[in-house]
Amino acid sequence: MCPSYANPANKQTRRDLLWNLGGGLAGIGLAQLMQAATPRTSGPHFEAKAKSIILIFLPGGISAIDTFDYKPELEKHHGKETQGANTITPFFGRRGSLMKSPWTWKRHGQSGKWVSSMLSHLAGSVDDLTFFHSMVARSNAHGPALFQMSTGFIFQGFPSIGSWISYGLGSENSNLPSFVVLPDRRGLPPCGVANWGNGFLPAAHQGVIFGDQKNPIADLHPPSGITPAAQAASYDLLSSLNHGHLQRNDEDDALAARIRSYELAARMQVSAPGVTDISGEPESIKDMYGLNSPVTRDFGYNCLLARRLVERGVRAVHMYNGGHFGAPRVNWDAHEDLIANHNKNAAILDQPVAALLRDLKQRGLLDETLVVLTTEFGRLPISEGLGEGGRDHNPEGFTAFMAGPGLKKGFSYGATDEFGYKAAENPVTLYDFHATLLHLLGLDHARLSWYHNGLQRRLTDVHGHVIRGVLA
Amino acid sequence: MFAGLAVWAHAQGAGSFAPVKALLESRCAKCHGGENTLSGFDVTTRASLLKGGTHGPAVTPGSPSTSRLFEWVSSGKMPQGGPRLDQSELKTIEAWIAAGAPWDNTARLSTPARREVWAFRTPVKPEPPRGPGAPHPPLHPIDAFLLAKLQQKGLGFAPEADHRTLIRRLHFDLTGLPPSPEAIGKDYQSTVENLLGAPEYGERWGRYWLDVVRFGESDGGEHNFERLHAWPYRDYVIESFNNDKPYQQFIREQIAGDLLHPGDPKMTAATGFLVAGPWDSVSAELNKDKNMALTARMDELDDMVTTTFHTFQALTVNCARCHDHKFDPIPTRDYYSLTSVFGGVGFGTRKVATAAEQAEWDGLTKPHRDKLDRVRRQLAAIEDPVRTRLLTDRYKAYATGPRIDRRPLTVNAFWNHNTFAPVTAPYYRFVVTNQNGRKPRIDRLELQPAGIVAGPWEGAAKATDDEPQIMPIPGGGAVSSIEWSSDRLNGSREGWVKVYRLEASDDGKTWRSVASSLDHVGPNELDLPELKDADVVAALSPEQRAERIQLIAQRTEADAQVKAFPEPRRIYAALPRDMHKSFVLERGSVARPKEPVNPGALTAVKQLSAAFGLPAESKDSERRLALANWIADPLNPLTARVIVNRVWYYHFGAGIVNTPSDFGVNGDRPSHPELLDWLAVSFMENGWSLKWLHRQILSTRAYRQSSAMNAKAFAADAGNRLLWRMPLKRMDAEMLRDSVLQASGNLNPARGGPSFMLQKKGDRGSYIYAALDNDGPDVWRRAVYRFVVRGGERIMMDSFDCPDPSVATPQRSVSNTPIQALTMMNNPFVLRQAGLLSRRLERDHPASAESRVGAAYRVLFQREPSAQELSLAKGFLASNDLTAYLRVLLNSNEFMYVP
Repeated sequence: MCPSYANPANKQTRRDLLWNLGGGLAGIGLAQLMQAATPRTSGPHFEAKAKSIILIFLPGGISAIDTFDYKPELEKHHGKETQGANTITPFFGRRGSLMKSPWTWKRHGQSGKWVSSMLSHLAGSVDDLTFFHSMVARSNAHGPALFQMSTGFIFQGFPSIGSWISYGLGSENSNLPSFVVLPDRRGLPPCGVANWGNGFLPAAHQGVIFGDQKNPIADLHPPSGITPAAQAASYDLLSSLNHGHLQRNDEDDALAARIRSYELAARMQVSAPGVTDISGEPESIKDMYGLNSPVTRDFGYNCLLARRLVERGVRAVHMYNGGHFGAPRVNWDAHEDLIANHNKNAAILDQPVAALLRDLKQRGLLDETLVVLTTEFGRLPISEGLGEGGRDHNPEGFTAFMAGPGLKKGFSYGATDEFGYKAAENPVTLYDFHATLLHLLGLDHARLSWYHNGLQRRLTDVHGHVIRGVLA
Repeated sequence: MFAGLAVWAHAQGAGSFAPVKALLESRCAKCHGGENTLSGFDVTTRASLLKGGTHGPAVTPGSPSTSRLFEWVSSGKMPQGGPRLDQSELKTIEAWIAAGAPWDNTARLSTPARREVWAFRTPVKPEPPRGPGAPHPPLHPIDAFLLAKLQQKGLGFAPEADHRTLIRRLHFDLTGLPPSPEAIGKDYQSTVENLLGAPEYGERWGRYWLDVVRFGESDGGEHNFERLHAWPYRDYVIESFNNDKPYQQFIREQIAGDLLHPGDPKMTAATGFLVAGPWDSVSAELNKDKNMALTARMDELDDMVTTTFHTFQALTVNCARCHDHKFDPIPTRDYYSLTSVFGGVGFGTRKVATAAEQAEWDGLTKPHRDKLDRVRRQLAAIEDPVRTRLLTDRYKAYATGPRIDRRPLTVNAFWNHNTFAPVTAPYYRFVVTNQNGRKPRIDRLELQPAGIVAGPWEGAAKATDDEPQIMPIPGGGAVSSIEWSSDRLNGSREGWVKVYRLEASDDGKTWRSVASSLDHVGPNELDLPELKDADVVAALSPEQRAERIQLIAQRTEADAQVKAFPEPRRIYAALPRDMHKSFVLERGSVARPKEPVNPGALTAVKQLSAAFGLPAESKDSERRLALANWIADPLNPLTARVIVNRVWYYHFGAGIVNTPSDFGVNGDRPSHPELLDWLAVSFMENGWSLKWLHRQILSTRAYRQSSAMNAKAFAADAGNRLLWRMPLKRMDAEMLRDSVLQASGNLNPARGGPSFMLQKKGDRGSYIYAALDNDGPDVWRRAVYRFVVRGGERIMMDSFDCPDPSVATPQRSVSNTPIQALTMMNNPFVLRQAGLLSRRLERDHPASAESRVGAAYRVLFQREPSAQELSLAKGFLASNDLTAYLRVLLNSNEFMYVP
């Protein structure tokens, strides 16, 4: 046993000790053992607007000025170079000239939101969305920027948003993990599992990947050679042996908690496949998510699965639209050819996410689920190299959106300059962004903390303000 | 202004000053008063409180709702780093502001003197307490200290554990492996000695150390490159534990081994400590945004400073990067002095082959390398003339074409480029004139594309128009641009070169100007159209193209022939690199360098001199050695305390200070300060020997007590800080895997050398480490020999709180999740090992199922099964095979918990 939590500043509750000290404690009634198998939670700290969250990450960096951040000035100045304070040093140093968006733009919805023709399905949802147009990230390199978006820090190894939320709110359904990850079927995102690591939080808060439909969780089913009857008999035998051992060890809490974890595992084995089996979904739903098209089938399935997970009480779902780097490019990192890259990825993204939003809404789930779509940074308004068709990284001003309860709908917050290069109005740091999404889940970002190496660590480091301007 | 009388009238009732004064002093003044006025906000006088800080006025007398102070404490934004104000405290403040924020005349509030940090006091060896009556045999001093505290609460130790339990405990604790059934028969003392002498001891305790120093074998981040030569550090650690290397020496070698014993590969490997952490190669090497790249270098230095001080001093000096440490006496200046210590350390792989090894490799590969050289030259002979011609054409076209991207480039200290038509010459020189009598300084000078790097270079004399400073540069191939900086890291103006000429010469005598600050107007080289291979190929004749294809094939072949010979030994370790002047960076920003700093350590450690007396231009070797000696000095009050506490923590599952890497104000206070000091001083007196320390701890009654429950003790001390029993410990990830393999009889005892892989980097272009389902003796080695990647796909060990080494892990979490249960029940690894064990048992005990069950209990638990357990087994085996049965035993709490 290694005590994972020792914070002299905070008096620990008995339940904290149970969870964190693992071993070493005994002599309490069995009634409390149930709690011992449930991870310690920090919150909620106040009444939540949403009880679960679906985070959709677009690794590589989707361009704001080609999707939701309309910049007519770019059309006027197309081909000109940037000057003075606006001279841009791109990540790869290949500075081109201003490049207008190659897509056509129209207003949509009651809110009259400008959306490019790249995302025609999502254009139909703008009245449910809250846009953040002035996002600012701390790094122009993928790795640190991805880490910052996923964990609040530009360094690897800190707990991800989903882990913090799992720690903050616990699970509503002990038969399923509280934090589920749905990677893109084309591959893990850049930096891999570090995007959803639990960092120094206990493994109870690690993101669990849901893979294919038959075997959604690693090691969910017994290996071949173990029949269902043998599995059941094994659980029984284990329980008998462990109870004997428990008696010989003065009913030690840690041992009792582990017995309970096996009972939960057995239940999870039954309930997890129930979530992933979508055969009961009507054709209209499958069609809406694009399950009948080869382009949208995989990502559409993940979107549908995300709905089914939050429906069953999973707290946090991290989804990815885009895989890692290398050839061929399977994410939004459009260095070479913006049009081909973004059109290809948009075709995968657009319909399923729009369907998810519509589906959540028609079930009333959008009143208790926060949907967040974001990326590690946007793309520059200049071309990458003169006469080239790509755009380099832009952490100085980019766009994300949220949908869900407690937000002003059909609303745009913050703005970039006339070219879409820098956040010019109400810049939104990722600390503020994270503080706001935690707030909507009933968590105070300043209080959601864990002692590690000398500090009460938080998702928002020592920064962050809830963005009141987007709250309804 | 309020009249003094009116103010005084409020002195006692609601809205009075006194309670607010107390609140401000206790909750605000630590960060906003006296020496510390964060955000420029000072609460200690009425005027400064009203004025507020960088966020604007803090208090509007009479109007709580518009006062930022009230808003921020109500919302919980303040106070930071402490509990929120409660309702009555909020009311007090609200009423006080509403009453016009009365003040006690001109009072200045007192600011809390910084709490003296206990860990900075010199440890003094105390007399062990004498208990009532003289015990027989006399108590070990450790027991005397512990018992004294227990007796204060009317408690004592639990009864001694039975012999089997003690022998099992020793084996798991010292080697991380279960004992053989026969080992239970050995006596306690000889078991201690045998295990401390066994090589498995270093494998277990070395693994703990690797946690603390965040040892990983891939870079992490976007590219996450493998570090295939990082394992020598791991072997160095294991060997150091096994040899009971004096801890002082262990410290010195890890910080400066390469300097203490140049040419000794093991000592080079020791410095793997400094660079074992994650490294963002993308930001360090690819980023063209200079400030981002400089910040990345500061992040590297931060990682080294942070880890060194977490590890050896249990201090969070990293908190002082942007501001003085808010809790511990560590000013920002100290932090930057420390970054200066590591300024000469880079990340990379060093060649450490002996001369003989190198000569052998040279001899064996010479024919192939010669061929490679020849082929390369032939290729260049075809391509280079074309390349030069095309580049020249492009440059000319560019220079005469529309000048949309031509702009004056300002000569600056950080980074300069000047691009010109390609030149080929055997000699170049860089001439600095007109420094207004100052010494010129260049820390990087690069001719491109030939890639000739020169510098750092500091002008010996002052440069003037009459007396230029001339820096020769080796010449050779065609160059078309020059890149240099005066102070790449800090951009300081000291020695900043502004007036220069680049000159070329064919004979080394007559020189012509190629580029200069006068014509420092030109296209940005970055904007020049790129010359691609395809362009070159297109410009070749058909014959040349055919020859080129042949030559490329030959090059590939020769390259493979060279690579067929394993390269001379390399080690991933501290790699010497250019140093730069260090400055205090305001708010941690590379764009805001302040006063320069020299290498040094912590001023708060009064027993030693923080200043190393080294000048700014001192060598890497002097710097690191000075720090190594500073840490390893017996007068350093932290060093010995920190290591004895770590060892204690791993033995008992709780530290005397239960934050083993933080002895500062935010960390835990020692539960037994005298015991800690007794251990620390005795440890130093006994040659800084870790094995001596183990022997002391293992010979105590405290260690030998059982884990029996004691309701009274639990009520008094639920966390078992007083050690009224030995806690049960769940196996950690490595112990679990190793123990399953040991139990099945398949643990491969091969020690040291390259790591085995459970995750592997994908094929070209992929940065993802896929989990392998590989099996067999190669991967049946102890988990300490696993290739530890950062951010790899999930493997079984991750479910059991095995940390990703991206951050240091002085304490592992011990969590308990259904996912762990699924992993143990269903992962093929467990079932396969159960199967192998069942075959072994069937072979060795053919007689009866009952004899096999008995043998399984002896192997796994070192005891005989009870009658009830035998009957349970019988029932299960009636319809299931032995493998399924053993799988259940491997899942049992009795297997997974160390007694």
